[in-house]
Amino acid sequence: MRIVIAEDDALLREGLALLLRAESLDVVATAGTPDAFLAAVDEHAPDVAIVDVRMPPTHSDEGIVAAVEARRRRPGLAVLVLSAYVEQMFATELLAGGARGLGYLLKERVGRVEEFLEALHRVAGGGTAVDPEVVAQLFARSRPDSRLDRLSPRERDVLALMAEGLGNLAIAERLFVSEGAVHKHIRSIFNKLDMAPDDRSDRRVAAVLRYLDGRERAS
Amino acid sequence: MEARKVRRLAGEAGRSTLRALGDLLIGVGTAVLALGALTWLIAVAVTSLIGIGLPLVPSALRGLHAAADVERARLSRRGEEVLTPGPPPRRWRAALADPATRRELGWAARHATLGLLLGALGLQLPAWAVRDGTFALWWQLIPEGDRTPGLALWTVRDWPGVLTVTLLGLCWAVVTVGLTPAMARLQAGYGRRLLAPGPETDLSLRVAQLTATRAAALDAHAIELRRIERSLHDGTQNRLVATTVLLGAARRMLTRDPAEAEALLERAQSSAELALAELRAVARGILPPVLADRGLAGALNGLATASAVPCRMEVDVPDRCAASVESTAYFVVAEALTNIAKHSGATQATVEVRSGGARLRLRITDDGRGGADENGGSGLIGIRRRIEALDGALTVTSPPGGPTTLEVELPCGL
Repeated sequence: MRIVIAEDDALLREGLALLLRAESLDVVATAGTPDAFLAAVDEHAPDVAIVDVRMPPTHSDEGIVAAVEARRRRPGLAVLVLSAYVEQMFATELLAGGARGLGYLLKERVGRVEEFLEALHRVAGGGTAVDPEVVAQLFARSRPDSRLDRLSPRERDVLALMAEGLGNLAIAERLFVSEGAVHKHIRSIFNKLDMAPDDRSDRRVAAVLRYLDGRERAS
Repeated sequence: MEARKVRRLAGEAGRSTLRALGDLLIGVGTAVLALGALTWLIAVAVTSLIGIGLPLVPSALRGLHAAADVERARLSRRGEEVLTPGPPPRRWRAALADPATRRELGWAARHATLGLLLGALGLQLPAWAVRDGTFALWWQLIPEGDRTPGLALWTVRDWPGVLTVTLLGLCWAVVTVGLTPAMARLQAGYGRRLLAPGPETDLSLRVAQLTATRAAALDAHAIELRRIERSLHDGTQNRLVATTVLLGAARRMLTRDPAEAEALLERAQSSAELALAELRAVARGILPPVLADRGLAGALNGLATASAVPCRMEVDVPDRCAASVESTAYFVVAEALTNIAKHSGATQATVEVRSGGARLRLRITDDGRGGADENGGSGLIGIRRRIEALDGALTVTSPPGGPTTLEVELPCGL
């Protein structure tokens, strides 16, 4: 897996590269500005880009703009966006459209190396990684009369992990249950929420996020 | 102990006398203006009776307003701000009925007579004190007929007479110290009473002005919050993230390569220390703790010590000001000293801070190359914004070749 890192903070950039290289991952280039990042994408043809949202010159959303441009230049490039804070609207808009090969994580998740690597591999493999904080905020925002109330606590856990982008096997491992049990929960969830079941995980994530965001809630 | 106390009291009396004499001196200036305006007004009024003065009435009224404005500025500089009652009426009939104009007229009559007299006397007293006090040194140098004390009541012929004159000089000195502050207060008092806007005055102008500065304050506040958010997210938080990244890597390394893990832990620790340092810097940027601990003078002296360019700091601020004012003064000086070090090429900076009445005045000078441009990306815009947010004023004088002077005036807010 060929990786390019775009992060303007030098210490953090080097820390990330060091961490990934220690895991024998191939960090082919690191960049501190959007321009350098795009040049690196052109030159090194990476599989995954890890991009900080805030980059020079204005430190607002240059990272996102650059990531979109990089995906335009290199279709199929997986992008894992790292952010200092959760911008809810931005996250759901980015992911609900088409979540294939996209990730949105809080920066500090990188420290939980195993989970971070799992998310990185998932995104690189065309899957999705949504930060638990984004999902938690979506749950917290849902209205009291929502159908979510019909879900059992365990089903809610499964739904949250689905929203994060985890596949059935990964969900089973997280919840210490069998894959079959997860499968059953998921069928029940889709039933209760009136959603068409979908086994492709990236489409599933998009659908779940749209649902949680309130845009596909039955009126 | 006693000697120190006496010295302190003497110092205080000396300062308040000097200040009073300064007030009386400038008061004489405005009294002469008032006299001029009044004379012109009377002349125009008298000639108006036979018709020929009528076209000159507006100019006479303008003269009166101008003299009153100069006095308002003087009083505002020396104490609480005296507000302008707003634009006076143009037509003379309306002007005669305008309470503010009538009060200005009353002030002019008083200031041109009583004010002038007080000022002249106030300046005469110390002159006599000096003349009579030093009489013994030079009385023999002048012709016999001219050997009189300041108030020429008698002619001195012998040493006992000289002693009397010396004692008289001492008396004048005592009277000067004892009376001039009261005289200065008297000379300013009726001006404060008569030139301030009366209860009938429409203060909408002032309200509009305050609304504008309040908006500026909110803007400055928002910019400030944005700056803090930036430094927390892009600085401190990044350091902490780097710390967790390094810790995570170290944990993975622990079994594989303990020596490498140790190196990572070392880096994680210094990253955490960096985070702490940045957090301190951010907190200090919000409100410098040194202000609360040491007061404005102590905090500013700290800045002078830390300044890259040698800095002479003179702080004479006996009372505390509002916290926002003190922290603005602190930031202005800090920013100005940084600017001087970065851009001016100066070898010496001087900062003077004084408080008079309800105002805090700062004067920051350097001997650098000058040519400071407010639009040139120097910190001047930020400085101006902070000052105007508090309804203060900034004057920048920076001719090419230098020197550069920043003059700042802030209302104390208490």
